[in-house]
Amino acid sequence: MPTHIATDRRRILKGALGGVGLLALPRTSWAEVEPFQFGLTPVFLSNDLELLNHLRGYLTKKIGSPVELVTRRTYQEITALLVSGQIHSAWICGYPYVQYKADLDLVATPVWQGQPLYQSYLIAAAGRVVDDWHGLNGDVHAFSDPDSNSGFLVTRTLLAKNKLLPEAFFSRSFFTYGHRNVVRAVASGLAQSGSVDGYVYEVMRETDPDLIKQAKIVRKSEWLGFPPVASPKSLAGDPRVEALRQALVSMRDDSEGKKVLDLLRLDGFLATDPSLFDTIAAEVEIVRQFG
Amino acid sequence: MILISRFRSIPVTYRVPAIVALLMVVISAVISEHVLDRLSRTQEGFLNGLAETYLDGLSSAVIPSVLRGDVWEVFDALDRSKSSYAALSPIETVVTGSDGRILAATDPTRMATFSQLPDSYLSRYGPGVVTIDESALTGFAKRDLIYQGQPVGTIHATFDVSRLFAERREILFTLLVTNGLLAVLFSLGGFLIVRQMIAPMRVLENHMRSAAHGAAEPISPGEIPAGDSEVAGLFRGYNTLVHAERERANFAMQLAEEEKLSSLGRLASGMAHEINNPLGGLFNALDTLKTHGETPGVRDTSISLIERGLAGIRDVVEAALATYRPERSQRLLTAEDFDDVRLLLKPELRRRRQRLDWDMAWNGAGEIPIKGGPVRQAVLNLLLNASTVTPEGGVVSLKAGSRDDRLRIEIGDQGPGMSPDIAAILTHEDPGPAVRAGRGLGLWMVRRVVDDLGGSANITAKQNGGTAITLEIPFGGETAKANAA
Repeated sequence: MPTHIATDRRRILKGALGGVGLLALPRTSWAEVEPFQFGLTPVFLSNDLELLNHLRGYLTKKIGSPVELVTRRTYQEITALLVSGQIHSAWICGYPYVQYKADLDLVATPVWQGQPLYQSYLIAAAGRVVDDWHGLNGDVHAFSDPDSNSGFLVTRTLLAKNKLLPEAFFSRSFFTYGHRNVVRAVASGLAQSGSVDGYVYEVMRETDPDLIKQAKIVRKSEWLGFPPVASPKSLAGDPRVEALRQALVSMRDDSEGKKVLDLLRLDGFLATDPSLFDTIAAEVEIVRQFG
Repeated sequence: MILISRFRSIPVTYRVPAIVALLMVVISAVISEHVLDRLSRTQEGFLNGLAETYLDGLSSAVIPSVLRGDVWEVFDALDRSKSSYAALSPIETVVTGSDGRILAATDPTRMATFSQLPDSYLSRYGPGVVTIDESALTGFAKRDLIYQGQPVGTIHATFDVSRLFAERREILFTLLVTNGLLAVLFSLGGFLIVRQMIAPMRVLENHMRSAAHGAAEPISPGEIPAGDSEVAGLFRGYNTLVHAERERANFAMQLAEEEKLSSLGRLASGMAHEINNPLGGLFNALDTLKTHGETPGVRDTSISLIERGLAGIRDVVEAALATYRPERSQRLLTAEDFDDVRLLLKPELRRRRQRLDWDMAWNGAGEIPIKGGPVRQAVLNLLLNASTVTPEGGVVSLKAGSRDDRLRIEIGDQGPGMSPDIAAILTHEDPGPAVRAGRGLGLWMVRRVVDDLGGSANITAKQNGGTAITLEIPFGGETAKANAA
């Protein structure tokens, strides 16, 4: 009897952690298997439930164990879970990857428009007359996330290069914790300008054309390393991490994987060298030096 | 008062529908007022409930974000609430922090984040949950955000309440149209019902109008409604009245004829006596002529006697003819008419050994513009009455004279005086009651003559006993009366 009770309790715990996809699977077959926890930051369109279902389905199939998708509101929460080894892997931003490079292994990097790179955009309201980023001086500015490269660090670096601090250059600023929210804030007039992920912005041209029509790009940054999928170094020997890498890299060869890529508007994933993120590391250094 | 009297002068066929319509207007006004008042309160309660729910939901959604000063989260909550509370039609919602600065508004272009809330927002609220500005068709509500007993911010919400007013207008319009139609229908119904109800009264009215012009006809049985016992009873009552009136008139005519015959009989016997008196003399004269006709003196005397006797008879016969042949009554009055009356009265006076005081103040003119026949008849009747009431051997008087534009005739007797009932036949406005009693028919004939000629009668008691009846008859009175009619 005690054995049954213990088993039931574990089942309940697993079920609670497993999420919707896990509950949908036959419980008996996965009951004793610890789910592979994959963290997601709002780097992409995290509100797309269809995408989440396909991604979970694909990863579960490829890794061979149940996959739990862990989402949090901020980059920081996911990064903390990842670095502390509480989740097995996560799609994080280049900025936290650079910050915790010593504790993290690069699993794979998405390929967008043929290369594992993206840009950060400075945007303003569509009707506004502004020549370059200097014209955004005194704005109420919307950042995406304090741990986002494109949604914060790039703009902060730009200002630092010009000996400026965000709180001095902008009259006010706030975080929306989502690139899409930055576009919404600018389009609605809540913020006069915003820092947004160029990849998200371009995808939104298809998914939210009405919202994009209300905004315009003031500045595009240089090409930077695309937000990668990383895992804690502590799990370096976990075969499931390797299975994840294989699943990501071979995603374009699988029909369900293809659906995920299509929804993400990505070409695929590549196993890249950490040096891809050196430009971001340089930005971090500039900001650090300026204070 | 003038208005009321004017209203009363409107025919009942129109008055009743007008009253019905007026009542409907009053009733509909009262009902409309009640309905709108109730609606207004229901709407207010509904709006308050919605606003409370909206503010409750929004408060719990934004308080954590307001505490953190998280502009985006507050805006996101406001943005999402737009679609969740479509029934309330929120126009604008503004969330301020504890410092009164705007954290986020549904329309940031109008109410910029981090700017100070305009003072007008603070002063626009009334005591209720929702304050309504009817001119702008908007409602305002606010909710202080309290966290652990401390105010951390405020929600200011503006709603579009035009739908409520549109609903009120629509209901008012529906009420007006419905009640208007009902008023028209009821009025029309009232008009038709009243017209149908008073239709029998019109029949009665027409018969009474005809009766007023002297042609009282009973209502034919076909016109008496079978189902309506009240109207049928009324009609039958009217018919009974008409029949009774006819019988009375027939009876009166019969009595008048009898009276006429009676007085004619008296006159005839008088005339016979008048004719008989000279007849003895005439036969004596004839015998004298037969016996002593050759004697010239006797013969001339006898012929003269016969001639005077026949002349007397001729005068009596002519006077009677003038009085009782209607075609002669159309000529104008002359002094001879009075002479004829005197002649006709003579036998009666003689029988009762009475004396006639005759005072004629004729103005010398041959004729007076008054019909002679009726006056003779009236004067003869009055003199015969005077003779009847005056004791034997008494005095009967007649005084007649024309003055200015009228003829004045006074007949006096030495009788015991006239009872008021009988006097009323001559002098009262309505001689009907006295006549209906079947008395004084001779006087009634006099009254008719006086009325026809447009004159008047007056009765006074004489100082030395007896009664004087005075007739005043204007010249051309009948013509004037005819014209006036």
